Order: sequence, then structure tokens, then C-alpha cells
Amino acid sequence: MNAITIGFIVWPFLTGFLIFILPKIDRYLAIITAITSLAYGLYLFSQPSLSLKLLDNFGVTLLVDELSGYFILTNALVTAAVTLYCWQTDKTAFFYGQLIILHGSLNAAFVCTDFVSLYVALEVSGIAGCLLVAYPRNDRSIWVALRYLFVSNIAMLFYLVGVVLVYQAHHSFSFEGLRGAPPEAIALIFMGLLTKGGVFVSGLWLPMTHSESETPVSAMLSGVVVKAGVFPLVRCALILDEVNPIVRFFGLSTAILGVCYAVFEKDTKRMLAFHTVSQLGFILAAPPVGGFYTLTHGLVKSSLFMLAGALPSRNFKELQSKPIDTSLWVALVVAAFSISGFPLLSGFGAKVLTMKNLLPWQDWAMNLVAVGTAISFAKFIFLPHKTQEEAKPLRVGFWLGVLLLIGGLIVANVVYYEAYNLLNIIKAVAVIGVGWLAYWLIFRRTAIKLPRMFEQFEDLLGVMTLISILLFWVAVSSGWS
Amino acid sequence: MIGLEAFVFAIIVFGFLGTIFKKNLLMKIVSMDVMSTGVIAYYVLVAAREGLFTPIIGNAKNNASYADPVPQSVILTAIVIGLSIQAVMLVGVMKLSKENPTLESSEIEKNNLV
Repeated sequence: MNAITIGFIVWPFLTGFLIFILPKIDRYLAIITAITSLAYGLYLFSQPSLSLKLLDNFGVTLLVDELSGYFILTNALVTAAVTLYCWQTDKTAFFYGQLIILHGSLNAAFVCTDFVSLYVALEVSGIAGCLLVAYPRNDRSIWVALRYLFVSNIAMLFYLVGVVLVYQAHHSFSFEGLRGAPPEAIALIFMGLLTKGGVFVSGLWLPMTHSESETPVSAMLSGVVVKAGVFPLVRCALILDEVNPIVRFFGLSTAILGVCYAVFEKDTKRMLAFHTVSQLGFILAAPPVGGFYTLTHGLVKSSLFMLAGALPSRNFKELQSKPIDTSLWVALVVAAFSISGFPLLSGFGAKVLTMKNLLPWQDWAMNLVAVGTAISFAKFIFLPHKTQEEAKPLRVGFWLGVLLLIGGLIVANVVYYEAYNLLNIIKAVAVIGVGWLAYWLIFRRTAIKLPRMFEQFEDLLGVMTLISILLFWVAVSSGWS
Repeated sequence: MIGLEAFVFAIIVFGFLGTIFKKNLLMKIVSMDVMSTGVIAYYVLVAAREGLFTPIIGNAKNNASYADPVPQSVILTAIVIGLSIQAVMLVGVMKLSKENPTLESSEIEKNNLV
């Protein structure tokens, strides 16, 4: 088990570099790496949790358990789907190489339990993500990539200051060291992670980055990359009881903020991006069951990004006047149903499980957010559609990728089949019903354009100070000393 | 020691303010580097708290106070990462400067918004 785990971490970096040397077999290496991670992720569910300490006292510490298993599974499935999606395109070996290095760094982030290994993994994922965003080499993509790298690097510098404060208190970099560290440390570290994970106001870099990237890159970023920032928060909340309320509080805040924007958004990809901000809240709001929610969200969001990329327009207004192909529409509806929490798809189980693990003060707000989700995805469900004979056929790779993700959504039902009782089903259908009603009565006609304040470059940096102050205040008020 | 710590934090804060208030994208990146220099200095300062001698046997007399090697080795990784990020960003800026010769970030942002 030890050797397998270490091999699993090293393997993607090996194949990632191998792709540069053997560009002819780039796609095959990429898909093999994704399948290896998939096998390892499934293997974890049959094993007891394992914690490893490499080298000496100050060495790297790893912990693999079911939670990491869910995150690794998400990573593997999304990477496999993105590779299939790009199979017939003329993407160069550079693209696949970066994709696999990104995949590897995320895997590393999902197993480590000390702040320094996490720092390295997050920075590598930042650089690889930036290069993927900049892949088309036009001015806009370069600017979006630079902006992403700049914001994440500044956040990680603050994180580093927090890490050394933890070290000063305990002479150790492990997550447990957060206990007993000064409140400044938690403010700086969590600010870095919240920014990296795209949570709450500090995550407002996310909508532009995710919506302006190419389709496969958006799917990858929204599907797994942001989860690398969220995972350590969940892990800390599970290890340290004192952190738990802080993480839950930010989960609730980001869920509300994201869904408020998503409901009014008129652009498909921006709506999906804002919705990611909101769904991360569901993962953080109930840390003990965050893993399963991550899996379902990762699958559904990447398939939605791929499908949205195949639509003829990005504007909902235009799409309403131009029928889309029925096969596309069916896939869209399945994905939209899953994320709204409709029975038969695993989004239902994940939502029931999360709702069950909420604290009383979170309950009403998260139910409201669930209605908001149904409202925003009604925009996709009620798009006009017809069977088009002369429509240009989509690539086989595209359908393989989407089917892999949607198939995953159906299979993942087995994780929490206990969810299927009458009360839960009625509640889920009622939430969706209320959402659709609100959509038809109010939101279909509204033309409110929310301002893009706080999404400008300088504001993204300035907000970091505000978030650290808020975190410091939350930490002190929840009895941190 | 307290004075030194204050200076180090001043570097971090000035660097951060530079990333916000400098208009030129190149200057923003330089400010980011100033900030990361501050962070590196802070690690060195934390390492030196217990002493300044290099932790090599035979290098100092008995009972000498050694510097803590762990933060230093950790920050070495961060220096390398900072360098590579800097390089990637500067290449990006070079590309952007063809269309936006003044490199004002607000102008670049305006040109590249939807």
C-alpha cells in the first residue's frame, strides 16, 4: 500500500514529462494516467485509511482515506473526459503534457496533510493551469492566464507567511499545528486557500477565468482545479473541531453569493462559473460528506461546460430564439437535473446527504440556495430544441467524454442509495418545482445586469486584505487564542 | 529583533501595495517580487531566531546556537517556484506589450473584456 501510494503520486509527473519526449503517443499516455488514477481512487475505498510520514521528523506527511478517494476519483474522471474531448482536435503534445502535470499536482494536493507539500502542489497546479488557459496564445487568453497566476501567487505568498507562523508555534508544518497557532496564522492560511479555491468574495477571479478559457480547460478548472483549494479546508475542518464552524460559515456565504449572481446571469459560461462558486459552498457547508458532493459536482460541471461549449451561442436570449439540437438538449437536461438534485441521478443523493449533515443555522439558507440552483438551471432546461438533420455532427470524442461523465453520475448513485425514501423524493421535487415556478414567473423576464465590481484586477487583490481581516475576526470571535 | 521583523513586514506590505497601486503591469510584477523577497526574509528571520551558526557539525564550537535549517530549506522551494512564476509572467507581458505598448493594466483589462 505504501509503495503503491508513492508510485501513484510520482506516476503522473513521469508520464507528464514523457509526453514531451514522446509527443506521438501523447493522448494514450494521458488516458493511461487518468485510468491509473481512477483505479487507485477506487482501490482506496477498499482499504483502511493510511497515513505516511516520509523522511524524518520534518518530512512530508500524507493521509489517504475515503475523502481523498472521492477527490482523486473526480480528478481521474474529469481528466479522462477532457482527454477524450480533445482526442480528435489538433491539440499539441504541450497541451496534454500540461494537462497531466496539472492532474498530478492535484493528486498530490489531495493526499498531503502538511502545509509545505500543499504549497508546492498548489503552485504547480497554478502554473500548469495558467499555461493551459494561455494555450490559444491570443491576447485575451494570455491576459486571463496572467491575471489568474498573479492573483493565485499573491494569495500563496500570504499563505506562506501564515505557514511560518504555524511552524514558529509548533516546529511542525502539519495541519494539526493549526491548533494553538496564533489567529493571524489561520487568517493568512485560510485567505490563501479561499482565494485559490474560488470561495466567497475572494473567489471572484473565477467567473472570468473559467468563462473565457477554452471549453476543455474550463471543464478541468471548474471540475477539479478549484477543489485543490477546497480540499485542505475540508481536511482541516475534519481534523480540528475549532476550524469546523469557520469553514461552514464560509461555505454558507459563498453558496449564497454565487447563486445570487448565477440567477441573474445571461451568459451560459459565466452562469456555470458563478454556479461553481455557489456549489463549492455545498462542499464546505458540510465537511464530513464533502467528498461525495465534490464527485457529483465535478462530473456534472465539466459535462455542462463541454455541452455549453457545443451550443451555437453563449447568450441565453439568442439561444431562446434559435432551437438547439435535441441530442444536445437531452444531455443538458440530464446534467441540469442532476445538479438541481432530481432523483435517479447522484446529485440527488449528494444533496440529501449534505442537507442531513448541516447544522440548524445553515439549514434554511442552504434550502434557499437549492431553489436558486433550480432557477438557474431552468434556463438550460427550457431552451427550445428540435432534431436537426443537416446540423454538423459533433465529434465522437465529445460524446465519449460527456457520456463518461453522465454515466459516472448514474453509477455514483450507489454511494448513498439510502437517500431514496418518499420524504426526500417529495422534497427534492418540490424544491425543483418552486424553482421552475419562480423562473417562469419572475426570472425569465428580468433583465437585471449585476455590476462587475470586484472583478477588476486591483479589486481582486484588495479584497484579499478584507477577507484576511474578516477571517481574523471570525477566528478571534470563535474563541481562537 | 523586533525592529528587524518590522522591516520585513514593511517590505511585504509595500510590495503588496505596489501590486495594487502601480499602474504598469511590469511594475506590478516587480512589486510582487518585492513582496516575495519580504516573505523569504521572514523565513530566514524565523530560522535565525535561535542562533546564526550553520547547522553543520564541526562548524561551530560546542553549545553554539544554531540556525534552524528547516524553514531555510522550505523557503528554497518557494524561491524556485517564485522564479519560475516570474519567468512565465514576464513572457506573457512580452506578448501583451505588442498590442498594448504602455502596459497599463486598466487598459489591457478594458481591451480584453467581453
